[in-house]
Amino acid sequence: MTYPEELAELIEEFQDIDDKMERLEMVFDMADEVIPFPPEHWTQTTKIQGCQSEAHVKVELQDGKILMLSGADAKLVQGLMGILSIAINGSAPAQALLLSPNFAEEMGILNSLSPSRSNGFRNMFDKVMKEIRILE
Amino acid sequence: MLVALRDDFPILKREVNGYPLIYLDNAATTQKPQVVLDAMNEYYTSSNSNVHRAVHTLAGEATEGYESCRSQLKEWFNAERAVITSGTTEAINLVAHAWGRANLSEGDAIVLTEMEHHSDIVPWQMLAEERGIELRYVPVLEDFTLDMEVYAASLENAKLVCVVHTSNVLGVRNPLEKITELAHSNGALVLIDAAQGVPHERIDFQESDADFMAFSAHKMCGPTGIGALLVRPEVFETMQPFMGGGDMIETVTINGSTYQTNEHKFEAGTPRIAEAIGWCAAFEWMSKLDLRKEHQRLIGIAQWVANELRSMGISVYGRHDAADSAVVSFLHPSIQSEDLAHLFDARGIAVRTGHHCAQPLLHRLGISGTVRASFYLYNTMDEAETFIEQLKYITERFG
Repeated sequence: MTYPEELAELIEEFQDIDDKMERLEMVFDMADEVIPFPPEHWTQTTKIQGCQSEAHVKVELQDGKILMLSGADAKLVQGLMGILSIAINGSAPAQALLLSPNFAEEMGILNSLSPSRSNGFRNMFDKVMKEIRILE
Repeated sequence: MLVALRDDFPILKREVNGYPLIYLDNAATTQKPQVVLDAMNEYYTSSNSNVHRAVHTLAGEATEGYESCRSQLKEWFNAERAVITSGTTEAINLVAHAWGRANLSEGDAIVLTEMEHHSDIVPWQMLAEERGIELRYVPVLEDFTLDMEVYAASLENAKLVCVVHTSNVLGVRNPLEKITELAHSNGALVLIDAAQGVPHERIDFQESDADFMAFSAHKMCGPTGIGALLVRPEVFETMQPFMGGGDMIETVTINGSTYQTNEHKFEAGTPRIAEAIGWCAAFEWMSKLDLRKEHQRLIGIAQWVANELRSMGISVYGRHDAADSAVVSFLHPSIQSEDLAHLFDARGIAVRTGHHCAQPLLHRLGISGTVRASFYLYNTMDEAETFIEQLKYITERFG
């Protein structure tokens, strides 16, 4: 599928990395892209189920555009949140809903993660999309 | 010697993420020597059949292979009764159902410790709920040992003491001799969860004086899916079968059934034949080693690793005295445990993270998980040095 320009560039950057540690480092760097969701606002409703780490997400609309707030105790999870933030933040809900989770596979990041982390990413993606559908 | 030993393990030749595999997750499961793989393959290739009643040649070979595992268990552990189970968990559940239900009633007490694996807690919680049994937990002290004063005081009216031989998180070997002596003098039986003990120590079951001992094959170079429960003969007679089916009966009529009187009574259904044959091969392989000497070498590695970690400002949870096991649990001050495990994996190093199925213990320690590196027979000092080098590199880059 066609991805937003920023995400397409990111996918390409990830695809160029062979070394797993470098790829993980780049995921870690993506943690800076997260719009923080402070732990004091974390609830059972915001929790991403099935994620080994404590991970929370909340989606809001600002001037009709998506704003994903997220937080986790693991940097790697924060990085994954950062990547998803790049993919959807600032988009209209209808546009964001077109996104397929396959972009993470194309990046090669899911291969670098344990199966539980990969499932966690999928659960995060599904939760975010569900919230967007409610907001739409 | 170690090079030759490592050659017996084909998996140690593989690379992970472009780096030679350094497998430090041995407390979870150990690797299998080629002889174990060959024995299982040979069974399926040449002798595959069901055990016991059939008279044809293949059935005879399968029966002989399966029962030779029991003989091996009895010989290795000097035990008179060895029930073959799916592992430590089933063995403990077997005690809860087959002995607990027949011998415990409302108002009785079971003594557990905070150091137990979930498999030695949950079956007792289930039984306690069903039968109104009291569970008493012996606390873990700051030096990672059991509070023996509380233990002694908790024995009044207790019918059973369940204690882990060696903690899978801390590596601490408990004072089992003292624990058993005190339990017996108060009229309680003793169940030892020896899952982490049997890989490191040649245990004499009769000498241990325990009443039950549970353990798994896969933590001592054997296959997964098989383990055993050793039982003292007098106690064995007080156990009632809990799983009914083929193989465990003597006669079945529409009015009722009578049961076998030996271990088969607790082994309903087709057993794990290939796994039993593989475990036998593992015992034979291990019998060629000087386990005591190997353990000394491994505990030396664990001590060195623990000291290196402490010198880096990393918190180490556990103890590494001569009789303890080569398990090093730690928490990095600035890198989250799972992140760290992923980074180790990027360099081919396998470690475990999480609660290690010992949440009450971690709760006592005030933490939710650790990173755990556990060493076994094929691990070398060179690997330990690479582990520390990589940790230093990761800390510098990501800490």
